[in-house]
Amino acid sequence: MKPVIALRDVTVRYPSGVFGCREVSLDVYPGEVLGIVGESGSGKSTVLACANLDIAPTLGSVEVMGVDVTGVGGAERRALRAKSLGIVYQTPQQGLDLDVTAGGNVAERMFGAGHRSYQHVRARALSLHEAMELPLERFDVVVKAFSGGMRQRVQLAKALVTSPPALLLDEPTSGLDVSVQAKTLDLIRRIQREHGLATVIVSHDLAVIRMLADRLIVMKGGRIVERGLTDQILGDPQDPYSQLLVSSQLA
Amino acid sequence: MSAFAEILNERKPSGYAWAYLDEDSKREVRRALLKAVCIPGYQVPFASREMPVARGWGSGGLQVTLSIVEPNDTLKVIDQGSDESMNASALRDLIARTTGVKTTTDAREATLIQTRHRIPEDDLAEGQIVVFQVPIADPLRVVDPRTSVTRRLHAERDYSPVWLYLYEDVATLAAPSFTHSYPVEVEGGYVMAPTPIPRHDIPRLNDAPFLALYGAGREATVYALPPYTFVKPLEFDDRPFEIEAFPMPCALCGAAESYLQAQEDSDPVRYVCSDVAYCRRRRESA
Repeated sequence: MKPVIALRDVTVRYPSGVFGCREVSLDVYPGEVLGIVGESGSGKSTVLACANLDIAPTLGSVEVMGVDVTGVGGAERRALRAKSLGIVYQTPQQGLDLDVTAGGNVAERMFGAGHRSYQHVRARALSLHEAMELPLERFDVVVKAFSGGMRQRVQLAKALVTSPPALLLDEPTSGLDVSVQAKTLDLIRRIQREHGLATVIVSHDLAVIRMLADRLIVMKGGRIVERGLTDQILGDPQDPYSQLLVSSQLA
Repeated sequence: MSAFAEILNERKPSGYAWAYLDEDSKREVRRALLKAVCIPGYQVPFASREMPVARGWGSGGLQVTLSIVEPNDTLKVIDQGSDESMNASALRDLIARTTGVKTTTDAREATLIQTRHRIPEDDLAEGQIVVFQVPIADPLRVVDPRTSVTRRLHAERDYSPVWLYLYEDVATLAAPSFTHSYPVEVEGGYVMAPTPIPRHDIPRLNDAPFLALYGAGREATVYALPPYTFVKPLEFDDRPFEIEAFPMPCALCGAAESYLQAQEDSDPVRYVCSDVAYCRRRRESA
């Protein structure tokens, strides 16, 4: 089986000279959830941005569905994202136009993928809207009027509307209160299992990681310091930084 | 001295260059126009000059017209279908006085037509040139105010924001809200602003025998449609583009196929042709 997303020895050096990450390699296979944890500035988001093809690695390569796509841009990248990658950002305004209706936000991704039938686009967007347990009467309402939890669901609907094999989650529930967070995580887990999505979740919240991730990568200073099964790392961390991270969690 | 140069010299009004602009300026505009004709719908920047009309009052169309006008041209200038409006009269007067070209109101005998917001109702022919005055050159301006963004979208032919705009209109208003300036896809893939012509005129751009040149003075941009270019309004497969429908024919000439304007001050409201010269000729020949 081929990994859906693979990073090979990816190093990102920003124009400022700062290294975003160094020699990061990872594979994500269909149906599994890979967690990335680490403190702020550890390189988690850089790695996710590489996986989403937002940043081209300075060194190393990125593969999607077994094809080397290092450095693609423009129309090719757009088509690849529509076909293969869905992403949910921490803040809804990164992934959505808040002045556009929920249906429109989801529909835009379909237009990007080349769909030109109004009825088909609308029906498909509506089915995703329902699957994300969003209220039907809010389908034609601008996202600005939505609560935080609902906005994240719209992002999920948008990410999944083109049925990509991979889902990228960048702190998807960090801005939500605890009960909404739990519901959203339940939804993500259900969707992920149903569709067998290769999923990468970046979070600083170990509770979120414990609930979702099968495998875990711990990052510090742009490097991977430990990797393994989630239970193993959280239960018996080997690297000093991982030990600190796990022990820092409030009970 | 060539015959052409002699005519230029002879007709030169005192104190002004022939056709108002100096030859180097005209050449620069023509170079931009040549590029525009080569890449249909692509917005070509040019060094828009200060003109004796304010920007936004046809300065772009005027520069295009003055750059391509020849001594043997026959000129027609219209504003919303009327040859007699203040703006059309002033522009025509300027062009005619600085060039000495013949003017006409009959679209069929004009070789060069400068227009604001209409295409004449008469079927135009090969060899005719229509110069459009352009208020907003970029069809993506409605979806993003940043030129840095719209340039990238054009370069990648990423028009999903316009499709989203259409989707939102259909979803919330039941139909696209573009009453004029309906975005069109042009041969080669660019989406282009056809200028605020009514939807009635949009299908007439497709495969048209005339050369269409677009000048935006304020935005310092020209673009073009060479003759016989494929032009298609953006429409969903299952929501066909529709032109305006009117409840009754023209009250003056009886035309049922032309673009009409409502006369709101008449009681009951009546509709008359927006193309005044066309309407008058139909009445006179009836």
